[in-house]
Amino acid sequence: MLSRVANNLIWLDRYMERGNGILSLLKVNFYANQDAPELFSWSPIIKNYAGDDDEHCTENALECINFMVFNTNNSNSILNIVTKARENARSVQEHISRELWLCVNNYYLFLTNKNLPKKLKEEDPIVFLDNLQAFHLRYYGLMDVTQERGASYYFMNVGKYLERVIQITDFTAMKLMEIAKTSDTLERSIYWKNLLLSIGGYQLYLKKYKSSFEENHVITMVFQDTLFPRSIYYCINKLNRHISLLIETNELEKNNIDFLLGKLESTIKYTTIESINEQGLDVFIKEIKEAIKNISLNINTVYFSNVN
Amino acid sequence: MTNNHLFSSYTQLKNTWDEMYNQNIEVRKQYEKITAFLKRTSSNTLLKKEELAKQLFMSQGVTFTVYSDNEGIEKIFPFDIIPRILTATEWRKIDLGIKQRITALNLFIKDVYNEQFIIRDGIVPADLIYSCPNFLREMKGVKVPHDIYVHIAGVDLIRNNDGEFYVLEDNLRTPSGVSYMLENREISKRIFPGILPENNIRSVSNYPNVLYKKLQELSDQNNPNVVLLTPGIYNSAYYEHTTLARLMGIELVEGRDLVVKDHFVYMKTTNGLKRVDVIYRRVDDEFLDPLEFNAASSLGVAGIMASYRKGNVVIVNAPGTGIADDKAIYIFVPNMIKYYLNEEPILKNIETYQLAKPDEFKHVVENIKDMVIKKTDGSGGYGMLMGHEASEKEIKDYLKTVKKNPSNFIAQPILRLSTAPCCIDGKLSPRCIDLRPFALSGRDGIDITPGGLTRVALKKGSLVVNSSQGGGSKDTWVIQ
Repeated sequence: MLSRVANNLIWLDRYMERGNGILSLLKVNFYANQDAPELFSWSPIIKNYAGDDDEHCTENALECINFMVFNTNNSNSILNIVTKARENARSVQEHISRELWLCVNNYYLFLTNKNLPKKLKEEDPIVFLDNLQAFHLRYYGLMDVTQERGASYYFMNVGKYLERVIQITDFTAMKLMEIAKTSDTLERSIYWKNLLLSIGGYQLYLKKYKSSFEENHVITMVFQDTLFPRSIYYCINKLNRHISLLIETNELEKNNIDFLLGKLESTIKYTTIESINEQGLDVFIKEIKEAIKNISLNINTVYFSNVN
Repeated sequence: MTNNHLFSSYTQLKNTWDEMYNQNIEVRKQYEKITAFLKRTSSNTLLKKEELAKQLFMSQGVTFTVYSDNEGIEKIFPFDIIPRILTATEWRKIDLGIKQRITALNLFIKDVYNEQFIIRDGIVPADLIYSCPNFLREMKGVKVPHDIYVHIAGVDLIRNNDGEFYVLEDNLRTPSGVSYMLENREISKRIFPGILPENNIRSVSNYPNVLYKKLQELSDQNNPNVVLLTPGIYNSAYYEHTTLARLMGIELVEGRDLVVKDHFVYMKTTNGLKRVDVIYRRVDDEFLDPLEFNAASSLGVAGIMASYRKGNVVIVNAPGTGIADDKAIYIFVPNMIKYYLNEEPILKNIETYQLAKPDEFKHVVENIKDMVIKKTDGSGGYGMLMGHEASEKEIKDYLKTVKKNPSNFIAQPILRLSTAPCCIDGKLSPRCIDLRPFALSGRDGIDITPGGLTRVALKKGSLVVNSSQGGGSKDTWVIQ
């Protein structure tokens, strides 16, 4: 496969995954903001995705959603993300299933429809966000049932899980900053619950630990659960699996990516909750982020080292 | 129910051949079935079909992006739902005529870059060839695989008021539009279910298979790696590049994906360099190789021409074919057919005046209102003067430019392009059309897909069918 194509495939899925994560976050924050606007203000989200944008300092929910969905100056607005996903998909059409291309293209056309911003103002915002998220869910489903297993599929999964890990660590770090500001147990538990909701793990948490919020349980679930598809461990494990498949099929040079990934997987799996608490969750997250950055750089080197 | 409204205001243009009606305003035989169908269909249904066609083009991504204010806007090439229909007899003549023409033009290109018999025998003047900007000195004496230069051609034909087809341009470089031929047919299947088989229309869907077979056979390798080279996503024909690559199952590459090493061309893959054997390039000659042509080009591949000359890679179409579709050379095509093939041309040329010749220049100026003046190296409908609609001042200014370098211009009488019915605001209305069939040359001869791209001048009374100037397209049906 062309190195450029591999790169496009990774980024196609990175953008689609990022869009889905942001939409979830917006939905959850919209609800939470109704409950406790002082705890769940919009500014941390805007700050995390759009940088220190002085222009945008409103706390009006609709304006914030509008900014996160439509603003073209916000590099992580859904519109910009989907435009980039589509550009990546467009140049690899012969590698992805027809259905996937149609899905991404129709999503783009839906978003660029001139009447859409009006709908956000007039309709229920959750329905509005759900309509957008439906494209992501369709994308996941289509990828599963229409994309042949092979290099393209593996590269797309590398992008998907890479982005997902980055998002979970980002979401957690964002919450930790808020949590650090308070010593109130109830407030802290509300933040943790919010984190679970944002990454879609609340229901599983209830099933597993019932309605008692213990930080250690949340951390264990978000970081180490082996069956929860949005835990860090699960994503690293999947990432590892698809990288191994690429190495097996000679699409990726061994280099030391498999070593880095194996190491990270073990670190997450075998670090006890006590030891996480001892070093501090923020330090642990930093370590994961650093490792992911290294892995991502390593993948890049493999593509571009073939230039000469 | 009969939809009379649809046909109520169809006024044929004077002195113009209409594809649907004859002079007695009777429907031509090939249009009988479709007109019967249209009469059974309400205007509302037709509008819905038009809407469906638009949506299908958009959602499939059959679009080009227009950038303004940092914002990309997706546009579709306007599509008129009423098909243009050709009879088997009409098609036979077009098919034979184009094959004859391409055969002669290919021999001409080979001759011009090698022995130049045609110059020595005084058929085409040497200075005309050497002054042509599309003549590539870099191609002199280069041995081209199987002596094929023009692998893909899109010959533009128009039908004059005498009912005959004339060749307007030969388009031997990187003609585009074939994806619209394919896509328009897919849309027709959706909006006129059952009508295609009822009319016994010849299929066009084999085009990508034929193209791939011909490309692959050009290489002397066993299992050659064939790729399509695109200038990239910002090119207005990018949709076509992705479609052709997808339908042929070959890799779509950009200049930056390729590299030349020891005079072989490779693509950069995830498991190292992989040799490339045949390149169907959609990048113009000028940008192909920064070492030999435009040094600033990042669309091409450095060293690719040297590799080509060594026979290590096949480039399709061959560089330098532009010499044969130059408008000044066009005049000599009938002579070439006689010279190389000893045959009479099957398809006619349009009468063309060389403005470098004083008596022809004089004739053109005297009849300027009936003339169109074109630049010899122009394309896309740009830089033309249409005598009948230009102001006195525009004519004066244009002639001033012509006088500076008259050999860069030719003139032709303004032709009566034939008209075909188009669905405009719920009513049928005649609009001017042309026809671009696509011819593929390979080791086993020339194949022309029955049909092609019919372009329409959607503006009332306009003769310009180019997509850049308000043109649209139609599906083209050839009856078996």
